Amino acid sequence: MTTSKLDSNVPSGPIQQKWDQHCFDMKLVNPSNRRKFNVIVVGTGLAGSSAASSLAEQGYNVSAFCIQDSPRRAHSIAAQGGINAAKNYPNDGDSIWRLFYDTVKGGDYRSREANVYRLAQVSNNIIDQCVAQGIPFARDYGGMLANRSFGGAQVSRTFYARGQTGQQLLLGAYSGLMKEVSKGKIKLYTRCEMVELVMIDGKARGIITRNVINGKMERHLADAVILATGGYGNAYFLSTNAMASNCSAAFRAYRKGAYFANPCFTQIHPTCIPAAGDHQSKLTLMSESLRNDGRIWVPKKENDTRPVSQISEEERDYYLERIYPSFGNLVPRDVASRNAKNQCDAGRGVGPTGLSVYLDFRDAIKRDGVDTVKAKYGNLFDMYERITDENPYKVPMRIFPAIHYTMGGSWVDYNLMSTIPGLFVLGEANFSDHGANRLGASALMQGLADGYFVAPNTVPNYLASANLQEATTGHEAFGEAEDSSKKTFDKLLNINGKKTVDDFHKELGKVMWEHVGMARNEKGLKEALKAIPKIKEEFWQNVKVPGQNNNVNLELEKAGRVADFIDLAELMALDALKRKESCGGHFREECQTKENEAKRDDEKFCHVSAWEHKGEGKAPTLHKENLVYKNVKLTQRSYK
Amino acid sequence: MSQKCCKTMNSSIMKKIFMGISGLLLCTFLIGHFAGNVLYTVNADLFNIYAHKLVTNPLIYVAEAILIIIFLAHVVTGIRLTIQNYTARSHKYYLKVKTGRGSTFASSTMIYTGVLILAFIVAHLINFKYGAYYGTTVDGEPMRDLHKLVAQFFMIKLNIGWYIGAMVVLGIHVSHGVWSAFQSLGLGHITYTSYLKVIGKIFAVFTVIGFSAFTLYALIQGGY
Amino acid sequence: MGGLSDKKITLNLKIWRQQDGIADGKMVDYRLNDVKTDMSFLEMLDLLNERLIREGEDPIAFDHDCREGICGACSLMINGQAHGPEAETTTCQLHVRKFKDEQTIVVGPFRAEAFGVHKDLMVDRSALDAIVMAGGFITVATGNAPDANAIAIRKENAELSMDAAQCIGCGACIASCPNAAAMLFTSAKVSQFALLPQGKIEARERVRTMVEKMDDLGFGNCTNEQECEATCPKGIKITNIARMNREFIKSLF
Repeated sequence: MTTSKLDSNVPSGPIQQKWDQHCFDMKLVNPSNRRKFNVIVVGTGLAGSSAASSLAEQGYNVSAFCIQDSPRRAHSIAAQGGINAAKNYPNDGDSIWRLFYDTVKGGDYRSREANVYRLAQVSNNIIDQCVAQGIPFARDYGGMLANRSFGGAQVSRTFYARGQTGQQLLLGAYSGLMKEVSKGKIKLYTRCEMVELVMIDGKARGIITRNVINGKMERHLADAVILATGGYGNAYFLSTNAMASNCSAAFRAYRKGAYFANPCFTQIHPTCIPAAGDHQSKLTLMSESLRNDGRIWVPKKENDTRPVSQISEEERDYYLERIYPSFGNLVPRDVASRNAKNQCDAGRGVGPTGLSVYLDFRDAIKRDGVDTVKAKYGNLFDMYERITDENPYKVPMRIFPAIHYTMGGSWVDYNLMSTIPGLFVLGEANFSDHGANRLGASALMQGLADGYFVAPNTVPNYLASANLQEATTGHEAFGEAEDSSKKTFDKLLNINGKKTVDDFHKELGKVMWEHVGMARNEKGLKEALKAIPKIKEEFWQNVKVPGQNNNVNLELEKAGRVADFIDLAELMALDALKRKESCGGHFREECQTKENEAKRDDEKFCHVSAWEHKGEGKAPTLHKENLVYKNVKLTQRSYK
Repeated sequence: MSQKCCKTMNSSIMKKIFMGISGLLLCTFLIGHFAGNVLYTVNADLFNIYAHKLVTNPLIYVAEAILIIIFLAHVVTGIRLTIQNYTARSHKYYLKVKTGRGSTFASSTMIYTGVLILAFIVAHLINFKYGAYYGTTVDGEPMRDLHKLVAQFFMIKLNIGWYIGAMVVLGIHVSHGVWSAFQSLGLGHITYTSYLKVIGKIFAVFTVIGFSAFTLYALIQGGY
Repeated sequence: MGGLSDKKITLNLKIWRQQDGIADGKMVDYRLNDVKTDMSFLEMLDLLNERLIREGEDPIAFDHDCREGICGACSLMINGQAHGPEAETTTCQLHVRKFKDEQTIVVGPFRAEAFGVHKDLMVDRSALDAIVMAGGFITVATGNAPDANAIAIRKENAELSMDAAQCIGCGACIASCPNAAAMLFTSAKVSQFALLPQGKIEARERVRTMVEKMDDLGFGNCTNEQECEATCPKGIKITNIARMNREFIKSLF
């Protein structure tokens, strides 16, 4: 085990001054020289769009790529709750320091202090920027911005636009992107999938893309490559991610030498609509705010299939209120999720599949009236009814946890650069700011912080100092990368087996959910590490991908992604096995307190696990970046 | 500059504005026409004097010219809109069903009701403006006896029938047109739009009943 | 009360198949058994596709992504209506339980001159991006913003702006408009900014350039039929069109 490449490059000095000092120390590119540099941005979600537009505004030539038909469709759009910032407009004791502190604590002390502090620092600028872009945030009657408390935070620091904050922020970033496209500073490639990273002299110099409409491979040369391609929750097949959300760009960079950090850190969201059956293609999340008024319960009796109306009050177990009297239904996401799983494992789950628990608004309706409940949650209730055909005003909602966000991702240093020089990774795709668990309303904050304020400072620093040699897309590295991806596509098309891509994806998802899901143990993880290679082997012998590579071929796209998910899944299981502690979203059953709480092992595991690809069929190497906490005191969480 | 100006004038919203303004002006003409018709029911001489003064006033040519321009603007723009809208979707739907929550019979038949109204107006001009000439003398002044022409025309029940039919078509047209004109001129509003729609419908009913009433009045009164 | 059930039905599907953007297409009949009524409409198509793949046939291409009604990727004319028969519901949120056993369902792509078909039900809606590109933004470079609370905005205006900003850019308004007009889409963006002080600076140029682009792209003219409003999955109102008309008139002076 080495720490060779893992220099976090965190600047020295007091944490409050690190970023400002670093901004001053970094090299600049003369405005008239900026047009000589080309930057590739893959992904057009919050991080990608904001980075692309900010760099284009400075004068760099940007090429932006997305797999959807429009940048506006990126999955950032689905975030509901809000975005945190340390504005302290409500005057309730918030500060940059407190947001920093809460985020490190929420991440269960597995994130890099300096990065998190910077995140809290620029959070305020994000809100300013978004308001200036015309994002219609909620306001009070005086015309000032409204805030709410979110995800159990002690202060009201969350800005929101109804239940569609992600949509509004993305459309804002998208409008900035399109502004630069109209000026010709950004060249936009839609329905275009990155299939390979191209490296020249050990530096990221371009990408190979596949045009989804006609299958054409294209070569794109640049001086720096930014990946902002989101998380890998779809490794579980069922997650709240969009159907096209995938790990391929980041994972192909991993194969080229970009270390992958903390792959086992995944977040489960407790209030999702449960799967209705095998046909389920994805899961839908409902805002956590439902837990403010809804009471979670299961029948005390096992396998109780009676309708709710026949289960008396004494026969109901409000288990969260019972186990956690002070926090009750508002315990953190992972605690709520795990408890739901425990209840279902014990046979007390409800609904046709037995894999859900009740979230009951009966008492809230009795207390506040239907109108009040409707005003608060009307759209969520409507959505629930549309999907389940059950009226939550009359019968309790049924909820179950689902994979929602991945904290792990490409390892990046303080400059958000991966272990490949010139390859930057932003947003959910990197591992940087959330440690082992992400706080509610912090994903949007991180995506925009990376894109608007961090990368536009650190990428130019790299460009100014990299001394890149002249190159063209005729370089042999492009040829090799293109050939190898062509071969992969041909291989997939020629297997002509019996099972569909989805068959394999579902199989993988089952293994992952079972063994690398909410609660993990050594035995299960070892089983997963046996099962996944088998799935992989069969996949490459028995998958059926119809059609050709010269036309729209959605199955071919899917096949390439699932192939990567299989490999990443193995890495996730391996990482989960090696991290023999519980922290944040990673819960090892062997490591828990007497109260069934996650028990960290700061002696052995206060580090980032960064995995290095060693070649096909070889075990990856684990590198550790030790985490040093100078400003935050490590404590054990307790919600009793 | 002129090119830009041309572009603005030709823009889809501008066409709608033309349509709206000309439509509303034609509606005010309808009100004027209605007022003139009222005189028919008051007194034959009064009606004839009114008609006589109208056609002998030298300003009538200016007024008619303006009216024709407004009318042609409405017709030509309407036809242009229809052609452009038709070509905006050259590949027609295999199956297209209305939601039942938006489009109405009136709104989807504007071009057809419009063409019928155009045909009616031509006939209407032939029937009356260029119809048979009966002379009369009122207060020593010789003039056309339009009252007699109207009365004789509506003695024929078929004429009454198709005039009333034309008024129904006109009513359908304006029932969408009035509200639509306000909307095109930017006067739609969360609260006021519904009022505008009601105003449009009242106007439509008024047009149908009002004008049709004259034909029936003429019939009941009988000819000379 | 409904609730989940194990009910399965059979559907007769008539689906538009077209090899690519140039080829002629045609309606193809499929009979699909064992469709669970709890499936979403797209999951029903997934089921059909899985069958087609196993039978060695080309699966049906259609756009979809978030499957929770917010990304705007899904489209489809279902039984002659954009996003199907349910009000304020995207195709991905439509469920099979809304259909009857043995019902025939006609599925086709959104149609407009400005929209081309890529394959089967997959449509090119980049014209909508082109309209946004023509002015659907506030020109503020990163780092250029004053404090977020420096300008107070009337709550009512912020809410109206949000009403308009909810547009998901799916193009259903255009698909259902008898004239294939893009007025509701364009006006939603114009309205969002027209209602905010930040957007007023460029208001004149914005409405002119966006409308000009909309016309150039070959969208039809609005005749106030209101099918757009009726079919919009996000309930965007045609009062936004009136506001855009108003903004356009203002820009003339």
